[in-house]
Amino acid sequence: MQQILYLIRKEFKQIFRTREMVAIIFGMPLIQLVILGFTITNEVKNVHLIIGDRDNSRISREIVRAFEHTDRFNIIKYETDIARITENIQDWKAQMAIIIPHNFGRDIERYKIPEIQLLIDGLDGNTAGVALGYAQNIIQQTAKAIQIPEPILAGLAGQTLVELEDRMWYNLNLDNAQYMIPGIVVVLLTIISMMLSAMSLVKEKEIGTLEQLMVSPLKRHQLLFGKIIPFLILTFIELTIVMTFARIIFSININGSLILLGFLSFLYLFTTLGLGVFISAITGTQQEAMFISWFFLVFMLLMSGFFIPIENMPALLQHITYLNPMRYILIIIRDIIQKGTVLSFLLKEVVPMTIYGVLIFILAVINFHKRAA
Amino acid sequence: MNKRIIAIARKEFLHIIHDIRSLVIIFVMPVIMLVLFGYALNLEIKNIDLAVFDYSKTPLSRKLINQFDANKYFTVSYQNGSPKSIDSLFLSKRARAAIIIDQNFAKKFEHSQQTPIQLVIDASDPNAASFIKIYCNGVINDFNETHNANLHLPFEVKQRIWYNPDMRSAYFFVPGLIALILIMISALLTSITITREKEMGTMEQILVSPVRPNEIIIGKVLPYILLAFLDGLMILLLGVLIFDVPFQGSYLLLIFLSLIFLVTALSFGLMISTLVSTQQVAMMLALSATLLPTVMLSGFIFPLNSMPVFLQYLSYLVPAKYYITIIRGVMLKGNTLWQLIMPALFLLILSAVMLRNALHRFNLNLEK
Repeated sequence: MQQILYLIRKEFKQIFRTREMVAIIFGMPLIQLVILGFTITNEVKNVHLIIGDRDNSRISREIVRAFEHTDRFNIIKYETDIARITENIQDWKAQMAIIIPHNFGRDIERYKIPEIQLLIDGLDGNTAGVALGYAQNIIQQTAKAIQIPEPILAGLAGQTLVELEDRMWYNLNLDNAQYMIPGIVVVLLTIISMMLSAMSLVKEKEIGTLEQLMVSPLKRHQLLFGKIIPFLILTFIELTIVMTFARIIFSININGSLILLGFLSFLYLFTTLGLGVFISAITGTQQEAMFISWFFLVFMLLMSGFFIPIENMPALLQHITYLNPMRYILIIIRDIIQKGTVLSFLLKEVVPMTIYGVLIFILAVINFHKRAA
Repeated sequence: MNKRIIAIARKEFLHIIHDIRSLVIIFVMPVIMLVLFGYALNLEIKNIDLAVFDYSKTPLSRKLINQFDANKYFTVSYQNGSPKSIDSLFLSKRARAAIIIDQNFAKKFEHSQQTPIQLVIDASDPNAASFIKIYCNGVINDFNETHNANLHLPFEVKQRIWYNPDMRSAYFFVPGLIALILIMISALLTSITITREKEMGTMEQILVSPVRPNEIIIGKVLPYILLAFLDGLMILLLGVLIFDVPFQGSYLLLIFLSLIFLVTALSFGLMISTLVSTQQVAMMLALSATLLPTVMLSGFIFPLNSMPVFLQYLSYLVPAKYYITIIRGVMLKGNTLWQLIMPALFLLILSAVMLRNALHRFNLNLEK
């Protein structure tokens, strides 16, 4: 035990000796939290819009005004010439244009059905789809609100409508940060524990100090634990700091049990630390270790449901996600923080995650022993 | 070309070849990312489990429920208990939304203008929640239209979607991915390769040799330019062949502007390597300073316009932001050099500043 403590002390000294490293371990996650927390959003705002109102009647002005009063769109220009509009979309100045034809108001009153055109740059399909939805909605709402001449409204008199009253549970205001921040916490947890542990062991190999450790009276398992425990502690400190800042900046509250959250994160760390040790056992240089852990990381990140919802993937890819430990912890942490889910509802995730953790850890230990021998 | 540069480049090249696993990853990873982004990145939610509490049990309510069931987005499950069980349905993820139809639904529908029904959505994923709401409203609108003759607007709204009429995500991601790969390889790898020489002490050996500092840098960087170019070309070909991403503009223009971007990315990598002393720090810094901003602050996935203003200003410092505009513009819109002059100029300015900084610091380190 005493020997492990020495090794842990050595490891901490080594980490804290490089000032840059300390800055990165503690500073970077916070910067990342802030940047990611604000950027990862599927909300669409400030779409650059050109308004082409060729009619300039009461009804068309009403529609234009509705577009002026929303932060979804940012009107950059009023322009009726179609060639100019095309040019502006082509050279990235505008993303969307709305064109109201001549005699729009008069045609409505004459029961002709005039046509409003929405032109959009569809390169970013997601944004385009959402922006079109907003625009359609704004136009429809305005059309209902403006006073359209009596006879046209007459048909609406005898109507009977079903209305939806919706209630959003767990996230009343549909605040995106509430959903993304727990995910970011998982990502940071994974990066710190996996990369640092992978690099630290390989570094000793590369510099040649691993052999010195090997010939010391330390047993192999002591060496292993001495290498893992510091990163376990660091990761937990990191977790606490990040969660505190998440609470201060984004007002994320943990609705579930803090102890459960800590315990399940601890279980997950077996997987990532195990992967780190495994990577460092099979590689010879830090560059190699970095590349392989980075490969694992990207794969885990993309296949976890962090920003690509798993239900939307093709069936084959969905099956592959079951191999990904991050998939489980992501659901667990999101559910505990947002919904306050209790353990009994999370068994579907906890059981496979624990099995992976144990398996990967055993594999790592065996590999480490073999390579070290 | 200078013999000494070639010698350094050859040495660096041997380093790369020697580490075959990293080399495989450099070429396999972009392919995996391409496939995942091309096929899987679809934020539209499908297969929504919808729990229905039908207390009305009339032909009319069943008709409404059938319309939900017929919709491709919903899988309906009938529930008998009280609405209190919604909580456990949500917590165990057996449903993502629930509809509660009142006992006197049918009666109200006949006699009043508006008949409410309740929709409860698990909004822990806000994006999914807003999609679910939109889909439900769609179903309800259809139902209302079949029961009311004159619900149409007095005009039509026609949409025209340019450049990507089917709104395919591959069109969007293939160019972005090329930018990501280029910066990753040129900035990340160069920053690490120089710090490695420092950490191992071999930098001093090279420095006491007759090679000049500028030649060292050029020689070290050349193989990575080649590697990045090959990788970028591979993604471009795969994107065009597998995902049918069109190429509207001029190949020459793209190559010319890509070279400018490569210089920017390499200057960035050089700057990082002069700032730090160990590979571990270089890697973490490069990862946080290149990968993250390139994915998040360049418009690669998330639109810049939707972000808070201070992040939009920050994005002016991200080289990939300009290159993504350039490559999307050339490939998908057929932009000319004149239309892309602003992003190209910004790239040049960024590289000049960073390169000057890097060389300055590099020389300082030498004098020490």
